[in-house]
Amino acid sequence: MSALIIVVLAPLLHGAMRKLRARLQGRPGPCVIQPYRDLVKLWRKEALLPEGARIAGYVPGLVLGVAATFAASLPMLGSPGAFFSSVDIVALVLLLAAGRFALTLAALETRSVFEGMAASREMTFAALTEPTLLIALFAEVAPGHGVRMDALGGANAFTLSGAAAFAALFLVILTETARIPIDNQETHYELTMIHEGLLLEFSGPHLAMLHLAAQIKQLCYLALGALLLPGYWWAYPLWILALGVAITFVETFSAKLRLYEIPQLLATAFLFAASSIAVRFFGNPLP
Amino acid sequence: MRIAGVGCTWIVAFSALISSMQPSVLPMVRIESVVPFLTLTFGASLLAAPFLVLLGLLAFGVGLWSLYRGNASDAMFIAAFCFAMLATLLAQDVAAFFLSWEATALLSAVLVGRRCGDPRVRRATLLYLLMGQAGALCILTAFAMLATASGGASFSAIAAAAPTLPGGVRNAAFVLALIGFGSKAGLVPLHVWLPRAHPVAPANASALLSGVMLKVALYGLLLVVFNLAGPGSSLWGIALLGAGAISVLLGVLYAVVDRDMKRVFAYSSIENVGIIVMAIGVAQIARANANAPLEAAALFAAFFHTIAHGLFKGLLFLGAGTVHEIEHTTDMERLGGLAERLRWSAPSFLIGCAAVSALPPLSGFVSEWATFQTLIAAAQARTDASTTVVAIAALAVLALASGLAAACFAKAFGIAFLGGPRSVNTSDTVPFVERFDASNAALALLASACVVLGFAPKLAWDPLAVVVSHVAGTSFAFPTLARLPTVLAILPILGVIAASIANRACGVRYVPTWTCGSQVTSSNQYTATAFSKPLRTIFAFIFHPVREEKIIQGTSAWFPRQISYQTKSRYIVDEGARGLLAMLFRFARGTRIVQSGSLRLYLLYIVAAAAAATAAAR
Repeated sequence: MSALIIVVLAPLLHGAMRKLRARLQGRPGPCVIQPYRDLVKLWRKEALLPEGARIAGYVPGLVLGVAATFAASLPMLGSPGAFFSSVDIVALVLLLAAGRFALTLAALETRSVFEGMAASREMTFAALTEPTLLIALFAEVAPGHGVRMDALGGANAFTLSGAAAFAALFLVILTETARIPIDNQETHYELTMIHEGLLLEFSGPHLAMLHLAAQIKQLCYLALGALLLPGYWWAYPLWILALGVAITFVETFSAKLRLYEIPQLLATAFLFAASSIAVRFFGNPLP
Repeated sequence: MRIAGVGCTWIVAFSALISSMQPSVLPMVRIESVVPFLTLTFGASLLAAPFLVLLGLLAFGVGLWSLYRGNASDAMFIAAFCFAMLATLLAQDVAAFFLSWEATALLSAVLVGRRCGDPRVRRATLLYLLMGQAGALCILTAFAMLATASGGASFSAIAAAAPTLPGGVRNAAFVLALIGFGSKAGLVPLHVWLPRAHPVAPANASALLSGVMLKVALYGLLLVVFNLAGPGSSLWGIALLGAGAISVLLGVLYAVVDRDMKRVFAYSSIENVGIIVMAIGVAQIARANANAPLEAAALFAAFFHTIAHGLFKGLLFLGAGTVHEIEHTTDMERLGGLAERLRWSAPSFLIGCAAVSALPPLSGFVSEWATFQTLIAAAQARTDASTTVVAIAALAVLALASGLAAACFAKAFGIAFLGGPRSVNTSDTVPFVERFDASNAALALLASACVVLGFAPKLAWDPLAVVVSHVAGTSFAFPTLARLPTVLAILPILGVIAASIANRACGVRYVPTWTCGSQVTSSNQYTATAFSKPLRTIFAFIFHPVREEKIIQGTSAWFPRQISYQTKSRYIVDEGARGLLAMLFRFARGTRIVQSGSLRLYLLYIVAAAAAATAAAR
């Protein structure tokens, strides 16, 4: 059920974040429901694929399925459905890798240099964020047994380790949602982009599916970040919105990093995650 | 010749499978000899059963592949090699184990050195033999120490006496076994022979080398750690965990930047052996702390990854062999677009690549997931601070490695099999289209094993539970694992089905790739070296990339006639090993002074030795 809500609301959040950023930049910006219109428009268009493509026609469906599984396994407003409750943090990380793997293969299939470059960068930075994501989420569930998704959340107050884990996760979210210090969603300027570059050769319904998958993933990551913040259940949607606003502010008021400075940012994120887990295991939580 | 060899390989495979079925029923075979110490005992044990299953399955697949491809003259050696490994796994005393071990080493060296016309092959074989024999010496010393201390040479006698042995003997035996078996299994820094020897061997031999022989070495390690050297301390486990983590990290880093397909697979084997050793380390820590459920879980992860890795790595090496026979190279910069030509092998190869990247719902996912869970449980058990720290560090290393492995194998499949052909040679030959034959049936068989083990880990679950509960005393509990792969895969599979229906219904138009108006040529595709360039730059402190650029100037500085560009990585561990070797040689040359050749000096030595012996005896 919550998965359906995520799928339906994901484009809306994307539109709202785009609107907010446009306003911060002094532009009126497109309407908040523009992403829905874009998806419908793309869906009606013809699908084009590069000559000799064998797997690219199936990859969008797979990527969308991965994003939907991510949405279904999130413990939003209670535990996920009985079927998806067996998904844990490790399985989630490996599942997201599967989607990325398929998209990379589809990109390498096109013979285009731009897509190859984007694929290479996407896989590189994904490999560098994976340990951070895993360790940060593990720090959140550390005292318990196992790493089930529904062990996340339910914190009642800010703790030092929770704050560090959240900081790490925030940087991971910036990377995974292709936001500005790391990537740029809006540009098709091929030398700077990572995630958009993978989608260059997709069109029509395929592109619609990939866009929807990216929007679902964005909302899921924000929801994952909000799980690390304390508060009653009604605070949870507010935290998601606040995270979206925060990311938009970061994106507006910071410059894009040079490609080879990104690893330093990701290393910082890993240090946050590592210090979080160190505090969780060896330190006393602050009163 | 070929048929006979494959037949013998299959006989070995079936006997391996049969001996793994009912280890307790089979009788022990004793071969008496005139020399009193040389009584050879063979018999199946529960600990060896997972390894026997792996040997049986992979030897069957390799035999099937060899029916159609590979050199006919190799087939008999392959069968003999399989038989030697079977004997090693079945050995029940020190002499039998060591003789079979040496037979395995020599036969595999013969296979590695098949194409000995190439000086590179000769050097690789020599290095392999040297390191293998040095390792065997360590193993022999360890076994001899244990056997003399416990007063019996059969494994059951040593295992029975093990708990009463002095700690020093057991610790020394552990260290020697770690060095000896670790050098055979390819643990960093004793791995230097592996990325040289595995790629030069024929494909079916390297499939068995990477798939089974490394695991036989791990079986030896397990045998010593869990049975023969008795209950060890948790320091042993931490040492294993650390050695595994280093192998995982360096193995995958070197794999991701390499451009030769077989060398990529060889480095990836180092990574995967590291994963198994990490799991064994967790099991040892848990055993030392009497945490039987964790020990059982870690052993399950180790055994499952042993079988899973053997199958998919065998599949990948055989696939590389097919590629080599068609294209006469395994250099990824010269390959491309193979999916169109190898239309039967390519899907199996893709499944192998996805399985080694630990992607759900394949076999590699199950074992890597289980390894993650055991590391997490080891950290959560909080036995002591050092264990927790090492477990968390290993967890981070494994997460990084799984991401890098995905990058590495996306590259291996994407560059070699997708896109268009890269070198001029491949595009000029007459269009070759693969037909269904024994070799790609073998690949498909191994690939379906990866899928079945991934979707239904239960299949391996119950047999492994018997083995694990024999070793650990209790069984493992992964309540969610039985349906986890299905849960993860169902929506993506539905998505793929929906996409294919939509493609069928609405139609897809195929158009040339848009590259800003320039022509799409095969030479301006992204290359394997370029794909791993960001990683080479980021991990420059490990790779120390060297870059050479040559520009041949033309009429003007703006229009050079030719630019050649070369980039290389330095291999720190290899350079260290080479330095050590040079030091040894210098030392050996230095000791030559005592060998003057003068008779009087030798007489003086004898007198001095006699005097020293008398003095020592008094």
